[in-house]
Amino acid sequence: MKFMLSQSRLDDVVPGERPRPLIKPLKGNPMRNKKMILGVLGSTAFMAGLGAGSVNAQDKQWDTAGFVENATFYRDGAGISKSRNTGQFEFSKDFGKKFGLSNFRVSGTLRGTYDAVYDINDNEYGKNAGGARSFENFGSTTAQALFGGNGDSPWGLSILGNGGAAAGNPIPPGFLYDVSSNPNAGLKVLGEDMHAPMAGVTIGVPVRPCDEDSRGCGLQDYMDFDTNDLRFPEFNDQLDFIRELYFEGSIPTGDMSEWFFRVGKQQVVWGRTDLFRVLDIINPVDYSRQNIYDELEDIRIPQWIASAEYRWGATETFDDLNLQLVWNFDEFRPNALGQGGTPYSILDAGSFFRAMNNCWENGCTVSNFVPAGAIGLDDPGLIAADFAPGVIGIRNVNLPSGHDQGGIKLEGVYNSVGFSLNYYHFYQQLPVLRGNIPSMNAFTGEVADWDHLIAFDIDFPEVDLFGGSLDFYVDSLKTVFRVETTYTQGEEFANTLQPDLYSESDVLRWVLGVDRNTFIPFLNKNRAFLISGQVFGQHLLDHELVSGPLGDIGMPDWEDNYTMTLLIKGWYKSDTISPQVIMAWDYEAGAGTIAPSVDWLISDSWRLVVGFNIKVGDSMEDQQFDDCRTCNPFPPFTASPAHADPMQSGSVGLSGIQPLGRFRSGPLGSASEEDEFQVTLRYRF
Amino acid sequence: MFEKSVITLALAVGLGAGLVPAVSADVVDDSFYPYRDGTPTSENLAVGMTINAANADQFKDILDPATYEQLKNGWWEMEVGDTTSFDLHPNYVEATRKGLGQVSLGEQLGQINGFVAGRPFPEQPSLDDPRAGEKLAWNYKYGYNWGDSAAIYPFYWRYRDLESGKIERTLKFNFHFLNYKHRVQHDPVPEFEDNPSDLFRAIYVQVLEPFDVKNTQLLIHRSSDDQTADNTWLYLGFQRRVRRLSSGQITDSFLGADIMIEDFEGYNGRISDMNWSYKGTKNIMLPFFNHNDLELATDLEESDGYQFVDFGGKGGCFPNITWQLRKVHVLESDPVDENHPISKRTHYVDAQTFTLPRTLIYDRKGDLWKSWLIGQAHPDHHLEKNKGTGVSIDDAFSMLDVQAGHCTTGQFKGQVDPKLNEVKIFTVQNMRAKGR
Repeated sequence: MKFMLSQSRLDDVVPGERPRPLIKPLKGNPMRNKKMILGVLGSTAFMAGLGAGSVNAQDKQWDTAGFVENATFYRDGAGISKSRNTGQFEFSKDFGKKFGLSNFRVSGTLRGTYDAVYDINDNEYGKNAGGARSFENFGSTTAQALFGGNGDSPWGLSILGNGGAAAGNPIPPGFLYDVSSNPNAGLKVLGEDMHAPMAGVTIGVPVRPCDEDSRGCGLQDYMDFDTNDLRFPEFNDQLDFIRELYFEGSIPTGDMSEWFFRVGKQQVVWGRTDLFRVLDIINPVDYSRQNIYDELEDIRIPQWIASAEYRWGATETFDDLNLQLVWNFDEFRPNALGQGGTPYSILDAGSFFRAMNNCWENGCTVSNFVPAGAIGLDDPGLIAADFAPGVIGIRNVNLPSGHDQGGIKLEGVYNSVGFSLNYYHFYQQLPVLRGNIPSMNAFTGEVADWDHLIAFDIDFPEVDLFGGSLDFYVDSLKTVFRVETTYTQGEEFANTLQPDLYSESDVLRWVLGVDRNTFIPFLNKNRAFLISGQVFGQHLLDHELVSGPLGDIGMPDWEDNYTMTLLIKGWYKSDTISPQVIMAWDYEAGAGTIAPSVDWLISDSWRLVVGFNIKVGDSMEDQQFDDCRTCNPFPPFTASPAHADPMQSGSVGLSGIQPLGRFRSGPLGSASEEDEFQVTLRYRF
Repeated sequence: MFEKSVITLALAVGLGAGLVPAVSADVVDDSFYPYRDGTPTSENLAVGMTINAANADQFKDILDPATYEQLKNGWWEMEVGDTTSFDLHPNYVEATRKGLGQVSLGEQLGQINGFVAGRPFPEQPSLDDPRAGEKLAWNYKYGYNWGDSAAIYPFYWRYRDLESGKIERTLKFNFHFLNYKHRVQHDPVPEFEDNPSDLFRAIYVQVLEPFDVKNTQLLIHRSSDDQTADNTWLYLGFQRRVRRLSSGQITDSFLGADIMIEDFEGYNGRISDMNWSYKGTKNIMLPFFNHNDLELATDLEESDGYQFVDFGGKGGCFPNITWQLRKVHVLESDPVDENHPISKRTHYVDAQTFTLPRTLIYDRKGDLWKSWLIGQAHPDHHLEKNKGTGVSIDDAFSMLDVQAGHCTTGQFKGQVDPKLNEVKIFTVQNMRAKGR
């Protein structure tokens, strides 16, 4: 079976961008890191020095601003889920004419964060998280007799595995692993915070930071954060504490026209949508900060980018016309999805990946994996299995080098309609799991590339995006309309029909947004409310889904899905008090979010935001999909009675919540148990 | 050779003058120089005196109703200054002269025919003319206002509590204005060549402080066709994205101030958005003054030594300026849109400059809601660069919400300087470039 994080799902459903790979925090040689930091700061100082000596400086003062902030969130059932302390400093300076450029300007943003949740709630997210876990043997009379209680078997003591071997039964080599090095400690059952196993597969997930427990942290530079990396996410090898540092300037070519250049670490924003992204895909996104709910401004991962724009200004035909070339010369970074054991792991993908990497490197226990009858027991139930290292799991991550992402945008205003035409070549920012790696046959010990086996590498395929956008105002309706659409080629998705458990699909995405200011007199007779609605659509043109003997087989992503968002925002007391409610609804997942909040601007310096984030509708347990237990990767040993040809690999569709139900639940449904009360206090200076 | 040229020019002017009927010259002169034969007077009114709670009743006839109430309540005191002529730029006057008699209203509200430049309808309005109010509105729309272009650079807004005087917020802006058409002074005259949407005017606003709204930018494009809706865009720094605004946001509080975008400059909407009624001409006190003669604020001094108008009175809501008795056309506007948040405005239009220094705004029930004051400074007594520009300089404002007991005050550094208003900054793309 193939488990893949569908780019389409997150990219379309999630407004901003996808989670970004973790920024490797200052690991390794501390002196090297220190040199890098000093080097960058030195560069900044050098640029500042340029300004200080500038004869043509229009404004001899640096424009500076910043804030310190505490964001503390409380999650129902988990306790404190965030206690993030942030300091941010912004600076810019106009130097006038310099280096042949008019309006030469240097700008930067520095940000440092300490999230205390890993210290003050370490039972949930830190060094004491998780514990010993047992795994379901659904309906197994044998397990009931052996383990008592509900029949769950402890990690590493499965009937098909170490437990059976200890009882003197012959166990194939692929169902044994060393529990002493992979102990039943610091674990959670994959998905346990969201749902019961319900006769499906689950895996043990190590949930402590990687310095406390290195299991599942073997993907180099990907989801391998230790405690300090999580506490201080910006202080990493990519120097993410430098949120932005760029210079810009223009070369006039006429009264209206000019070349404009901006080079450095920056955010380049395309698109006209809120919350979820369609065109806004140049910078990857850090979903580990607060799922999809932080402002994109704060969670776009800045990249080293060079952009050049030719601005015609007004022409004979267009009110405004601009051509932008963008080259992202930075190394590739995917969206940060969070990692197993962290409070914000969108789609809970980080947990799944970590569990699977541990499976590959150390072995693991998987619940309900095999019918007890298949190993000769007179037992109608399912039993857990212990998989040896190198049989199933995630072996490696193949991060592209990057440096070659880029695109072009033609944007303008014609007859009062804003428009853009866009093309971008990039690497999929969500990971895809490709099942074409050599692994061990659990029954024979033979190493080969087995079709339909859940043994993967993580990849990020190349994607070509073609898109466009419009915005216009309809006076008779007093409403602004926003439209975006994209067509991508090259995206890859999980697909249990395919031998390597993934396939490519072209994807069409679109969004229609409407904004209207409307008086609601009984709430405020003097100030209108902003009502902003959006509908996002996604269509997979090469979607595959067939009905198998035991359930559907193919791509867990919906062929067509729609996500709706609605914002209602009001203002009182000179806009110092602003209540709002954001609602989002995933049509196919049947899941949604209601997030009411009040923003109180206490003064020009102090700001307090208090709110809730409540999930409604279906939860993760309401979505199941082919979990590849019946993929028959090691024929004939793994063939089921439903396989017409026991020598032919391929799924017959037995389904469960894990691991592919997450793609159907989406980011809203998969966070169904993450109701939160949130308080943020900010001081600006 | 030189003498010959002078003679030729004099001859041409003489011939030209002879082609214009004498009555026309009087109409234009009457409109632009109402005080050439003397300034208005009022019984008991004297330059240098103060009108306050004790004597406000004596001057009720030369005060607008809101100003009278404020003085009567003792919220502030009015210092009376000389009535002075605010001569607009001679090119604007000349353009008016050229267009005299060639401009007419169209059949529908918001239509005008034959207008090129200058003041479209310089004739004294008549109460017998059912469309006199509309003509006054056109005179305001195509008024010399900020000239061909200008900047308020910078511009401080303060949100104040009328009762406590507490300054709740201070915002710092740059405002830029540009006329694409009907230009009379700075090149290109009379209009820009590349203007595919036939824009008349644009306003660009950049917020500099405080941090929560820093980098917010506003761009308004107003079409020459008054019946075409404005295009308005807002760049939000925290979103790094340009959003198009609906008209609902134009008639709503701007950044929490007591001002809506439609209030900018006195009235910042289309002629066709309102029904206009002329209510008569009279002499009343208006906030016209010489900036350099005032006792100015000391807390916001610019590096070049420029000082802003100071504020005082109740809640600090009233500018410390002098007032003049001036000729005023009283103009009422009520919204065409039934859902508009106000029921009407009463504009006290300065007859010489066609600025809107006083406007009273009434809520949907018809009760007075806001008192809108825009103080006008003479350009020859302001920044050096403003001398001789013939622009009546907006120099201080106060929007007082009499129902909420709250006000927003504004302190201007108005600069009539084309270099600050290059046409390229009035584009959507510029907002993205200026933003972060």
